[in-house]
Amino acid sequence: MDNYKNKILTVDCLEIGYFSGRSSNSLLLPVTASAGEGEVIAVIGRNGAGKSTFLRTLAGLQPPLDGEIYFRGQRLAEYSRRELARNIGYVSTEPVVVANMTAYDLVALGRFPHTNWIGRISEEDNRMIMDSLALTSMAAEKNKYLSEMSDGERQKVMIARVLSQDAGLMILDEPSAFLDAGSRYEILNILHRLSEDRGKTIIYSTHDLQMALTQSDKIWLITEGKFVEGAPEDLMLGGSLSVLFESPEVQFNPVDGTFSVKRKNRGYVNIKGQGQSRHWTCKAIERAGYTVTGEMDYPLIKLPDSSDDMWHFISENRSVAFSSLYDLVNHLHRIAR
Amino acid sequence: MKNFSQKSSKKWSSSRTAGIFILLTVLLLLLFLADIFFGSVTISFSEVIRALFSDSSGKMATIIIKFRVPKALTALLVGVALAVSGLQMQTVFRNPMAGPYVLGISSGASLGVAFVILGFASGISIQAISTLGNWILAGAAWAGAGLVILLVMALSARIKDVMTILIIGIMLSSGISAVVTIMQYFSNESVLKAYVIWTMGSLGNLTSGQLNVLMISVLAGLTVSFFSTKILNALLIGESYAGSIGLNVKHARIIIFTSTSILAGSVTAFCGPVGFIGIAVPHIARILFRRSDHKILIPGTVLTGGAVLLLSDIISQLPGSESILPVNAVTSLIGIPVVIWVIMKKRRYSDLF
Repeated sequence: MDNYKNKILTVDCLEIGYFSGRSSNSLLLPVTASAGEGEVIAVIGRNGAGKSTFLRTLAGLQPPLDGEIYFRGQRLAEYSRRELARNIGYVSTEPVVVANMTAYDLVALGRFPHTNWIGRISEEDNRMIMDSLALTSMAAEKNKYLSEMSDGERQKVMIARVLSQDAGLMILDEPSAFLDAGSRYEILNILHRLSEDRGKTIIYSTHDLQMALTQSDKIWLITEGKFVEGAPEDLMLGGSLSVLFESPEVQFNPVDGTFSVKRKNRGYVNIKGQGQSRHWTCKAIERAGYTVTGEMDYPLIKLPDSSDDMWHFISENRSVAFSSLYDLVNHLHRIAR
Repeated sequence: MKNFSQKSSKKWSSSRTAGIFILLTVLLLLLFLADIFFGSVTISFSEVIRALFSDSSGKMATIIIKFRVPKALTALLVGVALAVSGLQMQTVFRNPMAGPYVLGISSGASLGVAFVILGFASGISIQAISTLGNWILAGAAWAGAGLVILLVMALSARIKDVMTILIIGIMLSSGISAVVTIMQYFSNESVLKAYVIWTMGSLGNLTSGQLNVLMISVLAGLTVSFFSTKILNALLIGESYAGSIGLNVKHARIIIFTSTSILAGSVTAFCGPVGFIGIAVPHIARILFRRSDHKILIPGTVLTGGAVLLLSDIISQLPGSESILPVNAVTSLIGIPVVIWVIMKKRRYSDLF
């Protein structure tokens, strides 16, 4: 129990869900977990597993059905609303678009638990707001209206708002959902900088498994009837991820944490050649349903090299040349039929 | 370079805000004077000035001091109260279509009034009710208004659709008028007459006692409203976020509903139902200021609401003629186009607001 001291958040036998009348509807089995100061924690689970409810409960926005949450060693329920807001920031999946509200206005709302009764923005508040906008590289857009922003910009401003709240723990519900790949990496990059440079503890839910596996200190895995926590690599080695995410159609690759669609094997081929073109040719061939092998009695694919920029498919002493992988894959499909 | 342009744009936007405030204040003063100037009896401009600032004797001066000034003051208070209550409703419900009239809050207030007049006043006209009676009337209207707000809140809590709230409002208004009709059916003739006269509504029929009650109530409601500035700003981003930044949403709602009930209820108690000011004026203020901050929107709505109602009153007197239109008709004609414009311009809920 004395490891409470260096943990910013400790969850003890927590049950979450909704009260409906006299009965309660629990979404998860009792959860026991902890978050260290400055850690980035990814919450992973299938849709409907209760991730959002879990995060809302951690943020103190919803009472737990049972169990306890300790923030810096003190029960979450003992904090006042204002104290809680000064320590825990929260971004939900709900997009905020208020007409005539500028980036600055929104970020200024993060100062709510710090300002006086009328919400006067002091010099210090202003500095915090501008600093938060700068950290999310939105300083130049401070007078831009939310309604004129892209989804990525809006998400950055939402993060700037939590930042200006000056809370040690930031809880974000799917911060990278609905974003294009570029913005997704930008958001993740911002979150990492916040943990490294500012010592913020960040708990976020995501569906992007690869990102979660490569970019978090810890993973909280939520599935039906099971809660697992640990470093991403621990979960990979322990096999929790493969078991939980594999299905008859989908194959989980435990080496790099990617998924692929399971395909019926249509045959074997041999590949001659090295380098990047070998990597992508393998991918294309696997997609076509073939398995790459080292044994020589199967058809051979000769990769392009400095003297020849064509792919050669050599089978039973007949050679066919292709100028692209697209044509090669089509040919493989044809002969499989 | 970039930094410089940001600074100048910030400065430009705040000086624009200040400019609009000055213009609105000047406009409000001019409309107030114009409202005193126009009436069924033609009074020259110099006589108006003399009556207001030096000599208050004589027939013309009496008309001005006893009738025109109280009427203009009433118009001002009604406009301010309804507009601010509308702004608050729109923010709390996060719905651009919210307002005291369309949501049936004014109807709720009239139900309160109906209970007092039809239920308790025994054969005396509304004008004869004493000061204490005025407060009873106002209190009944507040209670009726508050009751309807709570009902709308409960009914709309589960449905986030913008238009649903209008349907709920229409249903509540119809339900309330049905109740009032039943009450009228069981009332005696003289009480009924007092009630019917009241429902016609007017800015010019207030006794000085009633004007006092109205003024105190509106000032009280406005004070609460000014103190809710920060709360209202937090509610703009939705209850979940408002909670996460430290707002007690339940308390916030109680505070805002109290001031809304007082503002909309008092107006309805003494002037009858006045439509479309509460829903339309906040939109006019938003168009003018292009801001969402209630530190700007509340004073902005106060000025705009006062100006619009003074203008409505001037129009209702049909300058140059002796007949007077019901002010409710004029405010509807001004407000409805604004509401339709808001609906037509942007269909998405989030952009509307």
